[in-house]
Amino acid sequence: MEERFVVSNRFKLITYALMGIGVVSFALGFIFDAERTWANYLLNNYYFVSLAVGAAFFGAIQYITQSGWSAMFKRVPEAMAAYFPIAAVLFLIMFFGMHSIFEWTHEDVVQHDHLLQHKSPYLNIPFFFIRVVIFFAVWIIMSKLLRKLSLQEDEVGGMVYFEKSELYSKIFIFIIAFSFSLFSVDMLMSLDPHWFSTLFAGKSFIAGFMHANSIIALIVILLSRNGYFKQMNRSHLHDFTRYIFMASIVWGYFNFAEFMLIWYGNIPEETSWFVHRWHGAYKVLFFANIILNWGIPFLALMPRKTSRGKRYMFPVILLLIIGQYTELYYIIWPSTVHEAKFGLLEIGTFLGFAGLFSWVVGTTLAKASLVPKNHPYLEESIHHHF
Amino acid sequence: MSKNYILGVFDDEATLVDAFEKIKAKGILPVEVYSPYPVHEILIGMGKKTRITHAAFFYGLFAAIGILGFLTYAAVIDWPLRYGGKPFNSFPSFIVVTIVATILSITLLTLFTFSARAKIFPGKKAEIYHHRATDDKFVMVISKESIEKNEKDIQSIIKEHGEIE
Repeated sequence: MEERFVVSNRFKLITYALMGIGVVSFALGFIFDAERTWANYLLNNYYFVSLAVGAAFFGAIQYITQSGWSAMFKRVPEAMAAYFPIAAVLFLIMFFGMHSIFEWTHEDVVQHDHLLQHKSPYLNIPFFFIRVVIFFAVWIIMSKLLRKLSLQEDEVGGMVYFEKSELYSKIFIFIIAFSFSLFSVDMLMSLDPHWFSTLFAGKSFIAGFMHANSIIALIVILLSRNGYFKQMNRSHLHDFTRYIFMASIVWGYFNFAEFMLIWYGNIPEETSWFVHRWHGAYKVLFFANIILNWGIPFLALMPRKTSRGKRYMFPVILLLIIGQYTELYYIIWPSTVHEAKFGLLEIGTFLGFAGLFSWVVGTTLAKASLVPKNHPYLEESIHHHF
Repeated sequence: MSKNYILGVFDDEATLVDAFEKIKAKGILPVEVYSPYPVHEILIGMGKKTRITHAAFFYGLFAAIGILGFLTYAAVIDWPLRYGGKPFNSFPSFIVVTIVATILSITLLTLFTFSARAKIFPGKKAEIYHHRATDDKFVMVISKESIEKNEKDIQSIIKEHGEIE
């Protein structure tokens, strides 16, 4: 079952052009409005890392549950996880913008703030970057290990690689759950260092997982439109939809539970975050967030017909891509930029990162056979039907 | 009972589906097929379409609207009462009740709908074709009238894949 993805020149050109747009946007942004540009940098960085983490998690649970249906597509989450090394570098570059983004890095503010002094053993720049390095080291090592086993399986075959992958995946999901929770607390929750929410990490994780699922489905759909994955049928699409649907409901549940408990408890330390986001454009975003990430997927992907067709899935996935952006914008902007500004800078930087991510995924997909060769569940995946 | 019916008993899904398709190819439709879990080929092959999912959706929709409406009426319009400094229309706290009560409504209403459509009621005498049907065996019930002259063919098809009882 040799099927190779060839990176067409057109694809390369588009990704280079997008990356060019991104570089130009960042360059202009740093000249005119450095603070807002750093906020953009954080948002896009986090956006695509959450996709990579979600994809790695998706790949891992396919091994753990010994799922047959997804064996054919496992190169796609693997390719998305190949974004980790680049993301690590990009996150380390954030060192230069720490003061523009995080309030707790300002010495003078911390001196007059008892709570921030109390939190400073955890929230300080050296330890922050030590954590970033540790998280990315673990993610890169684990995803490379799984990728290596997967490629060796192609060459040699046999059950050994599958069993090993399953074992590593079991370790990996615990690592992901723990590290990504701390990571989201570092990157997003510490933007408002006085505020805390215990559900925040869980919500961020499930948001990343949901959007990673939709991006995996999107890549598979785009590849099949270009003549790859010929054995893909509507049952596979249905399974992808079920993942998106499930994660969307869990996300909606978490999002509501977080809001409802804080609203009901009415403790000033907790409500301040939402009060700050309850006027002007942010109030619109609060509802847009719920509608895009829960309302539309919930209603649109419920019927059997829409959950099995590319035509229906495609627009929902596009809306979900906007949905993840909306959520992060809603979290990041009120505490960094303080104004709901949206313009060419936001679009340009997002396109730049999207181009980079697509380029990484495309080149990684081209490096190995698109359909794994000796996977024990490959036959089941090809004949998947329900 | 077995005077009027032929029972095909199968060990697994694959053999059942094989036999089912062959029998269908002869233009004969079994009266009923019993399996431990739903088998999509059989469901489609028997020409049965279920609309219970749509019914459940609309029960849920109307239950959610009704319960929200009731809570709003009770807490805001009919008997406004301040609890813990919350506004009369404390919408987020209504949602929890709505979710839970909607699930209950869907479950009960769907159960009643199914029972009514399948003509099941308490105290009804069960029609059991085979004592291990829906347990661990796949059982196909074919009426002898529909077979007419093909009885031998059908029996051989069933024997190929399972057994006749």
